[in-house]
Amino acid sequence: MVTYIVRRFLYSIPVLFAASVLIFFSVTVAGDPLATLKQNPLASKQTIHNIEKRNHLNDPITTQYAYWLKEAVTNKFGSPLLQPGTKIWDDLKRVIPHTLQLVVLAEVLALLVGISIGVYSAIRQYSIFDYAATTFSFLGFAMPVFWLALMLQILFTNIFIKWHVRIFYTSGLSSQNPGGGIHFWIDRLQHLAIPAMTLMLLSIAQYSRFMRASMLEVVNSDYVRTARAKGLPERKVTLKHALRNALIPVVTVSALNFGALIGGAVITESIFQLDGMGPYFLGALFNQDAYVVMAWLMVTATAVVAFNLIADVLYGYIDPRIRYD
Amino acid sequence: MPEPILSIRDLVVEFATEDGVVHAVDGVTYDVFPGETLGIVGESGSGKSVSQLAILGLIPQPPGRILRGEAEFEGKDLLKMSKKDLRRLRGGQVAMVFQDPMTSLNPVLKIGHQIAEAIQAHQDDVGDKAAKARTIALLELVGVPNPDRRYDQYPHEFSGGMRQRAMIAMAIANDPKLLIADEPTTALDVTIQAQILETLKTAQEESHAATILITHDLGLIAELADRVVVMYAGKVVELTDVQTLFAAPRHPYTVGLMDSLPRLTVDEEWLRPIPGQPPSLISRPPGCAFHPRCFLSQGRTRCRTEEPPLRVIGPDGHLSACHFAEELVGQSSKLIDEPVAGASS
Repeated sequence: MVTYIVRRFLYSIPVLFAASVLIFFSVTVAGDPLATLKQNPLASKQTIHNIEKRNHLNDPITTQYAYWLKEAVTNKFGSPLLQPGTKIWDDLKRVIPHTLQLVVLAEVLALLVGISIGVYSAIRQYSIFDYAATTFSFLGFAMPVFWLALMLQILFTNIFIKWHVRIFYTSGLSSQNPGGGIHFWIDRLQHLAIPAMTLMLLSIAQYSRFMRASMLEVVNSDYVRTARAKGLPERKVTLKHALRNALIPVVTVSALNFGALIGGAVITESIFQLDGMGPYFLGALFNQDAYVVMAWLMVTATAVVAFNLIADVLYGYIDPRIRYD
Repeated sequence: MPEPILSIRDLVVEFATEDGVVHAVDGVTYDVFPGETLGIVGESGSGKSVSQLAILGLIPQPPGRILRGEAEFEGKDLLKMSKKDLRRLRGGQVAMVFQDPMTSLNPVLKIGHQIAEAIQAHQDDVGDKAAKARTIALLELVGVPNPDRRYDQYPHEFSGGMRQRAMIAMAIANDPKLLIADEPTTALDVTIQAQILETLKTAQEESHAATILITHDLGLIAELADRVVVMYAGKVVELTDVQTLFAAPRHPYTVGLMDSLPRLTVDEEWLRPIPGQPPSLISRPPGCAFHPRCFLSQGRTRCRTEEPPLRVIGPDGHLSACHFAEELVGQSSKLIDEPVAGASS
């Protein structure tokens, strides 16, 4: 198992290297990163020249890439092009935990709920519950995220206005004086609850469908019949013999989801004004700061690779046929 | 005669499909006596496995449906039993060995665990250590080498034959009174088949269980069975002891089955299969279901219009469902010429 993990880990190094090449070249060929600045009459020639010199922007593209990579590895992505006094990593260090809190909260709950719904739908196929779950998940798929987010905001705002009960906050990450320790985290949960619900709904819809389909495939398999034939209680047949085999496809989907969401649930985070990866990326785009965009893309790529690695390890744990050693 | 351990009476099992209702088992009646091996032969889709799965509550319902019938096991009707009692019986007093060992074991659980689990499902007082010891003893009994090491392996680390041995070990884990072997050797190589037969015999001796052997392999029947039920299109068409079946078959379908076997003693250029296809179980031919393929029928009206009842036509309760069974006496068939020889496939 350990060699398996180590090997998968080593595989991800060339993948990340390839990702850095793709990211750097596709962002760089998109145009002059200083085009907007050069049109600004207030920007002096000297400033522009300094930026070009500092980031080697007039060197050949491969040389630029080498400098960028060196800066990224040794200096944690260095500074933004346009604000040389600040550090990219300081911003990333602030926004990544916020996004992680939101995504982990939403996805872990979505997995629990989605898997339960899927399993129950499959063992009670064509029951009222199954039809209701199917309808719910199609609604979940079809509903635009921004619309759901706004509806939830309106709902909880109205509850507050009408009864003066503060259940959940509708924007931001923390109150002005959240207090310390446990109070801080309760306050954070109250802020993250609605955005998490928004993300959850889509994920639940997805996971419950996947789980239902793979469960249905498994419950009619020969080994489940064997488990029944040896007289195991139905609960054990379902939760031990069927569920474990049916989980494999869901692991794939959820790992991909996790990775993609770390890149920021851009719409959700923006609507709820959470200081996470999504708004940070939008800000970098608006500022046309290529170096921040590249740093963001690199972090997202790393997250995707990391969660794929986690999925691979989980496969090996769930399905012994996948272990290579 | 002793009391039967299992007696099935007029069992009818249907499946609702999009094309119509499949009459998989249509009024089947037979007994299994303690200690004997009852063979059930028939082509694919003749209802041999479904009847067994149905009485143990292992067919999915819906689409399956048990329309009527009784299946008395030691005086209790399995079809009227509560789900809980039936579950206690499965794997305990009645155990099954399935056809395909490649898919019948759970790929993500250790072999030893899967067997120990069967023991602990029925014997609450057996601790983990005792269950493991018993499992290793069982694996040794069915001929799995290095059972200590094999205990912790997964199904994909076992060969087909070894997996079937593990399935047999699982089946006899709780000393069943009735062992149902559903095509236990079909999915295996010929050389492995012989070994598995030996293992099955050992298992039978060890557990003293009555055995129902479901197969389409007449060679297996000749080797293991004491009495034989021949099924065709969901019905019993002939029932007798194994010697009589091979020496004096009294149903044209049985004769056809035996004629279609190749013989090792004669240089044969062509096999003689039964002409035609097994009938659709959605719309059975009227009268005798076998008449379109039958060499005895030859267009006789009675075969088309009247369904032949299962009737006694010979000594020791030899049953046959053919209007003209008596005409088979003295009929030339290569196996009637030379009884039993060449019956292995």
